[in-house]
Amino acid sequence: MKRVWIWLSVLAMVLASALAMAQAGKKITVVMIPKLVGIDYFNATQKGAEEAAKELGNVTLRYVGPTEASAAKQIELIENAIQAKVDVISVAANDPKALAPALQKARDAGIKVVTWDADADSRDVFCNQATFTGIGEALLDSMVDQIGKNGPAAIITSDLTAPNQNSWIAAMKAKIAKEYPNFKIVDTKAPGEDQQKAFQAAQDLMKAYPDLKGIFALSSVAFPGAADAVKQAGKSGKVAVVGLSTPKQMAPFVKDGTVRDVVLWNPIDLGYLSIYAARAAVDGTLKEGAKIKAGRLGEFTVTKDNISLQILLGKPFIFNKSNIDKFNF
Amino acid sequence: MYVDRGRELSIMVFLGGLGMVLAVFAPEFYNAKNASDILVNISYITIAAIGMTAVILTAQIDISIGAILAACSTVAGLSAKAGVPIPLVFLYAIATGAAIGLVNGLLVAYARIPSIIVTLGTLTVIRGVIILLTGGTWIYDLPANFRAVGTGTTFGLPNPVWLMLLTLLIGAFVLSHTRWGRSLYAVGSNPAAARLAGINVERTYISVFVLAGALVGLATMAFATRFTTVQSNTGQGFEFLVITAVVVGGTNIFGGSGTVFGSFLGALLVGVTGTALTFLHVSAYWEQALQGLFILLAVALDAARRRGALEGSWVRRLLRRSA
Amino acid sequence: MSLKSRPRTLNIPWSELVLVLGLVIAVLYMNSLSPAFLSLSNFFEITRIVTEVGLMALGMTLVIITGGIDLSVGSVLGLSGITMGFLYTAGLNIWLAALLGVATGALCGWINGQLITRAGIPPLIVTLATLAIFRGLALGISQAHSFGNYPKAFLALGAGYLGPVPNQLFLLVLLALGVGVVLARSTFGRFVYAIGNNPTAARFSGVPVNRVLVWVYTLSGLLAGLAGVIFTARVSSARSDAGIGTELDAITAVVLGGASIAGGSGSVVGTLLGLLLVGVVRNGLTLAFIPAEQQAIIIGAILLVAVLLNQVIRLRLGRN
Repeated sequence: MKRVWIWLSVLAMVLASALAMAQAGKKITVVMIPKLVGIDYFNATQKGAEEAAKELGNVTLRYVGPTEASAAKQIELIENAIQAKVDVISVAANDPKALAPALQKARDAGIKVVTWDADADSRDVFCNQATFTGIGEALLDSMVDQIGKNGPAAIITSDLTAPNQNSWIAAMKAKIAKEYPNFKIVDTKAPGEDQQKAFQAAQDLMKAYPDLKGIFALSSVAFPGAADAVKQAGKSGKVAVVGLSTPKQMAPFVKDGTVRDVVLWNPIDLGYLSIYAARAAVDGTLKEGAKIKAGRLGEFTVTKDNISLQILLGKPFIFNKSNIDKFNF
Repeated sequence: MYVDRGRELSIMVFLGGLGMVLAVFAPEFYNAKNASDILVNISYITIAAIGMTAVILTAQIDISIGAILAACSTVAGLSAKAGVPIPLVFLYAIATGAAIGLVNGLLVAYARIPSIIVTLGTLTVIRGVIILLTGGTWIYDLPANFRAVGTGTTFGLPNPVWLMLLTLLIGAFVLSHTRWGRSLYAVGSNPAAARLAGINVERTYISVFVLAGALVGLATMAFATRFTTVQSNTGQGFEFLVITAVVVGGTNIFGGSGTVFGSFLGALLVGVTGTALTFLHVSAYWEQALQGLFILLAVALDAARRRGALEGSWVRRLLRRSA
Repeated sequence: MSLKSRPRTLNIPWSELVLVLGLVIAVLYMNSLSPAFLSLSNFFEITRIVTEVGLMALGMTLVIITGGIDLSVGSVLGLSGITMGFLYTAGLNIWLAALLGVATGALCGWINGQLITRAGIPPLIVTLATLAIFRGLALGISQAHSFGNYPKAFLALGAGYLGPVPNQLFLLVLLALGVGVVLARSTFGRFVYAIGNNPTAARFSGVPVNRVLVWVYTLSGLLAGLAGVIFTARVSSARSDAGIGTELDAITAVVLGGASIAGGSGSVVGTLLGLLLVGVVRNGLTLAFIPAEQQAIIIGAILLVAVLLNQVIRLRLGRN
């Protein structure tokens, strides 16, 4: 009797792996939805994703996004992708909560959901570019190193509702409360993704707070805008600007000394990794503790988090004078 | 031609009130550097507002100018990077704006589609075409002589401010002292009567849209040149800013009355409130609501003045005395 | 036009015929683009997605017939959602909170109406200012937080189905019927058309112009408020930036539906057809994975062509 059970379980395992292998070889369609199209950052992630899809050969990539960063438009795209019966929906969420019902619906329909860049509350795996704490602390460390433990500094974010930015700010404030209780953050401005408004916000902050020593600029629009305002006000070296943006955009400011550190991850690698994660999700190889191969990036360990699974791209990268010219995005 | 100077006074009273609040709570607001920064920051709004004034005077509206700003900035940035001589760069930008304006104008004048619908349509089309043509990439490493146009100074005043003042003067002269300028008021007040008076109404409509587009192209000299990057998706909401400046500045949305100077005051109101709120240390969370409220108050104050609701009150007396 | 006669759009529904034709062509074309397009579930999915804009477009139809415009509806959607979410999170019963959310929308519309009629400020300017104010209030009240964790029964408003039919579709159809009947058959409806045709003449023939206008804007706000509640239920969270830019979608639907922006003409049927046309085109193009920027070009072109066709027909009929 016992032997029968063994044979049966062996048979089940063979069947299961055959099924997985059938899936594994299958050509899949991945719909990849950035927060918005028409900006450099998401052009870079698209480039990485296309590279990975080409390498794998069995992934059809559809890169579609709204023309403005809108959760409602993303939901519409997700609902339509469900109707189109794709295999994977891969999304950089404009709102973690608002997208959840649509994503859950997709998962109920058997579609795998990968999030990247900005997480959502319902998904199979999140490709995390760098932890919020990691980025928040890297920003704060660079600032403290440049202007000391007392500040004062101001923050220029994108929109007040932007989830990533808010998480970085929370991480910064947590570290301030713990380690630098005298570090003052005097004001927070939210110019949106508008370069004129970001520029003006930095200008106004420097004048309204004459003893301001630092500005955190937390978007790829705010950072060059703030750096430019500091430079044009003749305050390079007197007001430090730290933030997140692409190296190509910040290179002139790093070279002339207005900006010392640019914090970011490699968006091309992030797009690239997300496609390998999508493939693994369909192949069924995504499990806690498993190692998945991602082409030229090597191996990544899958970890468990409070929603489902997570793959971490790495530590935030710091671009400065010594390395910024090596990057072409 | 009917010009209501009262609206300009209403805004001045309103700006004066805001100025007093600032003098008490944030005296550091008043310094030459801040004044010059504010003027630079509103220069591109004012230049575009002059074109919009002409459009609204004829009882039309153009909500595609945010998209036109993106198109002109992209053309200017790309051609500057390609090594085109600087005067030509802006000629290209202005030509781009004028060409789009011509399409708007033709559709309004000859297809007789209401301008708000025409420009709603072209707005989405232009934005789509820009992304299609540029792939959504932004333009970096702009040449130094391009950036010098927007960041340099001449005789101690920033170039964008010169450009704004010059355009204002010419605009004011053209609107009030030329046949064409006066025909705008006539067409806006009563197109049928204007036609009887021998004005080619269709051509007037086309001309104002071409002008609005061309001036947005000109505005890139005080906009795209001031930043290190040209974003191909720039100018979101620019149309709201400019229309607000024009109507707050006293131009009648139904056409027929308004001045360029009023639009400048409107742009000043739009431009100064953001900076003022920062100096007053108002939380960014309430900024937008207050800015909207300021606009409404400025307009409501004027509406009350017109209706005589303030008859006998101090505001009224003040307005009358200064008039 | 005497007040007793029926509005002319009901007599000659040319613009609706053009739209139906356009819709048929769009459906056939989309079907050839994607095999997933022509199915009942996809059709209902389209109606689910367009319901909020549809509600706003119903109110906007009335507003535009009177010759006005309401640019604040997108912001009202955001503010109503936030009001509801804020109150619910503060411990209020969900249905009461939702009701107060809708009421907030109505209040916003009432304020617009008062500013337009009492202060005599043109609708475009009033709603341009309140667009900023209502959005700003939503941001200020929420302090940029989102409000979530609603009970299942409430979420069903936006995410539940009765058979294959999404719940909110019933609401849209019911309200569309209501607004349509009021517009076509009631005295109030005739007043609305009369004001749009000639406000001065309407005033002299005894139409209570100001009162009717206040009602129209209040209704527009109320419907936008309802859209805010439905949207919140559909996406399960209320955020201050919900509904940004949707005013232009609503206006597009109304104008596609044959309403004249100068006032005096327009119909609920037309608006619904316009709404459906945009929904079908967007859905079909997305199913075929056409990028958003190309969709924008196509939808912009459709808007222009449709209005142009309407214009041509109107001129031809005028000549006859």
